[in-house]
Amino acid sequence: MSFFNNYIYGSNEYLGRLYLIVSSLITFGLITLYSISTDPLSISSSFMRQLIFIIFSLFIFFVINQINVKTIHDNSTLIYIFSFLLCFVPFFLSPVENTYRWIDLGFFYIQPGEYLKCATIILIAKYLSNHQLEVKEGYIVFIPILIALLSSFLVLNQPDLGTAVIIFAPVLPMMLWAGVNGFTLFLLIAPVITIIAASNNMIFNIWGVIMFIIFMTFQGGLLKRVLIYFANIFTGLLFPFFWNDFLNGYQRQRFIDFLNPDLDPMGSSYHIIQSITAIGSGGMFGKGWGQGSQTQLKFLPVQESDFILSVIAEEFGFFGITVIMFLFFMLIKTLLDIAFKSSDYFSSLVIIGLTSILFSHIFVNSAMTIGLMPVKGLPTPFVSAGGSFMLLCFIMLSLVSNLSKN
Amino acid sequence: MLKIENKADIFHYRTLLFVLVLSMLTLLSRYFYLQVIEYERYSSKSQVNSVRAQATYAPRGLILDRNGVVLVENYPTYILTVTPYELDNKEAQFQIISDITDISIDELSRRYKKYNQGRFLPTVIAKNLTFAEISQIEERRLELSGFQYKRFDERLYNDVLKDAHFLGYLRELDRESIPFLDKSQLYRAGELIGWQGLEKQYESELRYSKGIEYIEVDTYGREINTINDKNIPAYPGKNLTLSIDSKLQQFSKNLLIDQKGVILVSNVDTGDILSMVSNPSYNLDIYRGETTDSDWSNLLSDEDKPIINRNIAGLYPPGSSFKIITAFNLIEDGLLDPEDSLMCTGSYIPPGSSNTFNCWKGDGHGLVDLNKAIAQSCNVYFYETVQLIKLADWTKTAKIFGFQNKTNIDLPNELIGQIPDKEFFINTYGRWGWSERGVLLNLTLGQGDILVTPLQSLRYINHIASKGKTAKLKLNANKKVEYYDDIILSEQTWDRVIKGLYDVVNSESGSGWRAKQPEVKLYGKTSTAENPHGEPHAWFNGFFNFEGQTYSLVVLVENGGGGGAVASPIAGEIVKFFTREQVEMVNK
Repeated sequence: MSFFNNYIYGSNEYLGRLYLIVSSLITFGLITLYSISTDPLSISSSFMRQLIFIIFSLFIFFVINQINVKTIHDNSTLIYIFSFLLCFVPFFLSPVENTYRWIDLGFFYIQPGEYLKCATIILIAKYLSNHQLEVKEGYIVFIPILIALLSSFLVLNQPDLGTAVIIFAPVLPMMLWAGVNGFTLFLLIAPVITIIAASNNMIFNIWGVIMFIIFMTFQGGLLKRVLIYFANIFTGLLFPFFWNDFLNGYQRQRFIDFLNPDLDPMGSSYHIIQSITAIGSGGMFGKGWGQGSQTQLKFLPVQESDFILSVIAEEFGFFGITVIMFLFFMLIKTLLDIAFKSSDYFSSLVIIGLTSILFSHIFVNSAMTIGLMPVKGLPTPFVSAGGSFMLLCFIMLSLVSNLSKN
Repeated sequence: MLKIENKADIFHYRTLLFVLVLSMLTLLSRYFYLQVIEYERYSSKSQVNSVRAQATYAPRGLILDRNGVVLVENYPTYILTVTPYELDNKEAQFQIISDITDISIDELSRRYKKYNQGRFLPTVIAKNLTFAEISQIEERRLELSGFQYKRFDERLYNDVLKDAHFLGYLRELDRESIPFLDKSQLYRAGELIGWQGLEKQYESELRYSKGIEYIEVDTYGREINTINDKNIPAYPGKNLTLSIDSKLQQFSKNLLIDQKGVILVSNVDTGDILSMVSNPSYNLDIYRGETTDSDWSNLLSDEDKPIINRNIAGLYPPGSSFKIITAFNLIEDGLLDPEDSLMCTGSYIPPGSSNTFNCWKGDGHGLVDLNKAIAQSCNVYFYETVQLIKLADWTKTAKIFGFQNKTNIDLPNELIGQIPDKEFFINTYGRWGWSERGVLLNLTLGQGDILVTPLQSLRYINHIASKGKTAKLKLNANKKVEYYDDIILSEQTWDRVIKGLYDVVNSESGSGWRAKQPEVKLYGKTSTAENPHGEPHAWFNGFFNFEGQTYSLVVLVENGGGGGAVASPIAGEIVKFFTREQVEMVNK
């Protein structure tokens, strides 16, 4: 038994906790799926399919667990190129739901964009760990951003905005972890916030003041700081002009359509209304397992994957949601602990990247069900039904266990 | 194992932990707000059940003629839709629907698959429900969750014009076509879309703009309440007023009974088409309701091709009207004095050849000048004079008159005729298989490899009637008048040719004398176009002034015989229609 423990856990005491949390989440997911399947024991129900995916993913988990960390480190470029090329495969196949995101393997679909996320993290981690001494220099940020941009651009063309955005999620935490200068990181996010803030005068003014204070507090040449400050302000001032006057109506529409191919005045707002009604009507302790009227009467759409948290909220109430949010919190915290305790730099960075991806999925999905974010088909890790993403979660888990063993 | 040690900073660890805690608390507080504070509100909302969004429609725009007569309107029918995710038991429910409507389960399943557009959107599976069927569906409402019947407007054609090709038709949209359409119009499978003719050309104007209605429904899918504040109303499509005069259209149509062919009438000054007949035709009602496959294949395999709009997609040799092209070359380039006469003995032997080319009049026209040659359509005159022209010049003139371009009338699927030039002959007959002199003998008679559409021929006669400044042909009465590229020729050239065209109809032995009308000055040119498919095609292209406006007409009777004998009388009748209408107007 101790051999077995050692084989799986390695020497890291946190892995046991991690597996316990993941098992709880999976169990929670399965209980929920059982409740919404009309005939849970038939092979085609989402419950049974999920069970089969989990067994299959466990198998893959053990296979990947055999791979040496050094092999992953040394071949990270190769892994990236392979994942990158894999994303081109759907373009040669017939489109699924008008997009080129999936490869149909007969028994389930795989989404190569998902694996590109992992490969991107590994490559960035390798770069950052190989250039550890230069990490205080501003230019260190360019290569990681370039790698993320390349992956993101490819995925954007599938088109898959959700995945394209998620690819960027790990970049900032990884750079922070690697020790990149805080001011440099601020310079990176400032223009994005500026453009978003430009939609409202009041917010833009407040942001302008905040930015001013931050720029003045940081050290560095005064001229440089003032220049960057005004470059930001002008971006903000010019953006609405560019958006309203320079682009004409149909170009704007094309841009919006491009960003959000699922945009549909009947579809998305309807989904949100249904989701919020389901969540709100759950109350403190929920309507009970299998008793959620919104869920069971199928008013709630895509309930087995995108809106599974709404099912949990309706049937188990705020209590259930608190439990699951606690599990998610512990999942991310444990991963952070593992990264912090990890003995080598590369592994630590990869784990931070993977953690960011899991976290962004959890956050975006939850925020969507309660109407804080637009509808995007991002599943919840370990809970939502869906083969491709479940497999990816297990692959990430296996990478974490692998990387933390030494 | 790897050389570089992890030097993670506790400050970074805490930063990330802080972000995590903050995000989780944000989410949790929002859940708390919805589930605990706003619980009452959502709980009661979930009890009266749920909101369903549903598309609402408005009528498609009507199509009217120039006098406001309705040519195409909407006719209400009822359709049955099914929303996949609301189905309890698909097989059993399809069986019930099959019993009620007499449509086989296989057919229902086929439509269900074909028009399916996702689990949450209704799919059309039956059309033209009768009142009896609707009441039976209503009776068994509880067993039929997911099924709904809805009003659905189809097109109804005016009896007089229900076989007019240019109107076009609507078709049910299938899923495969949707990605290629304008996204802002929110097309869904099973809706109707303009698929041919004007319905297609003006789809974006005729189509309604869709609305959205939010409805509260109970657990059985029955409507409880509509929520008005978020509804987006549907707006009807714009009406389309045509330049067509339906009376004239009907009158022209009757002139062609039992004959294949085309009648086009236009206002030269505005480019308005007043009549566009293509015979044989077929009843556009075939696109309504459910047409059997055998009816379809009969229509498609008919040798007379009733489905084709011959005006824009029929290609014919133009015949003698192309002698005018030769005449334009001769006069404009000063190659001969129009007053000079030639002797027509009834046949022509080109220099250095042993072949004899005959005039249509066996014993010859005697002494012929240009005017007489046009008026009496003398072949020998043009055989001789075309020898003065270079092939390149001749084809250039034909192209100036638009025979190499579409007329760009507001109809889809217009074809272009063919003006053979040097390149064409080399490609077809090889470098040495033809001679410039030889082919010109054919071309000047509008024979050989020349093909034109009747609409191109109409533009040609409009070019002559307007002396080169010609309005673009159009069917939409409200479309702005635009002009084709100006054709610049000397005033004298135009006058010579127009004088010739006048004599075609009005001189004693003009080939179009049967078209002559006492009160109206008609100009024209007859053509008798030989073709490999049997009797020659009879053409008459002409124009006339009436009440200060210039009108033009093209008559083509396919395999009808001589242009003078067959097409001219029809042209005369059309002019008579104008004078008679005027009398009627005055009498009113």
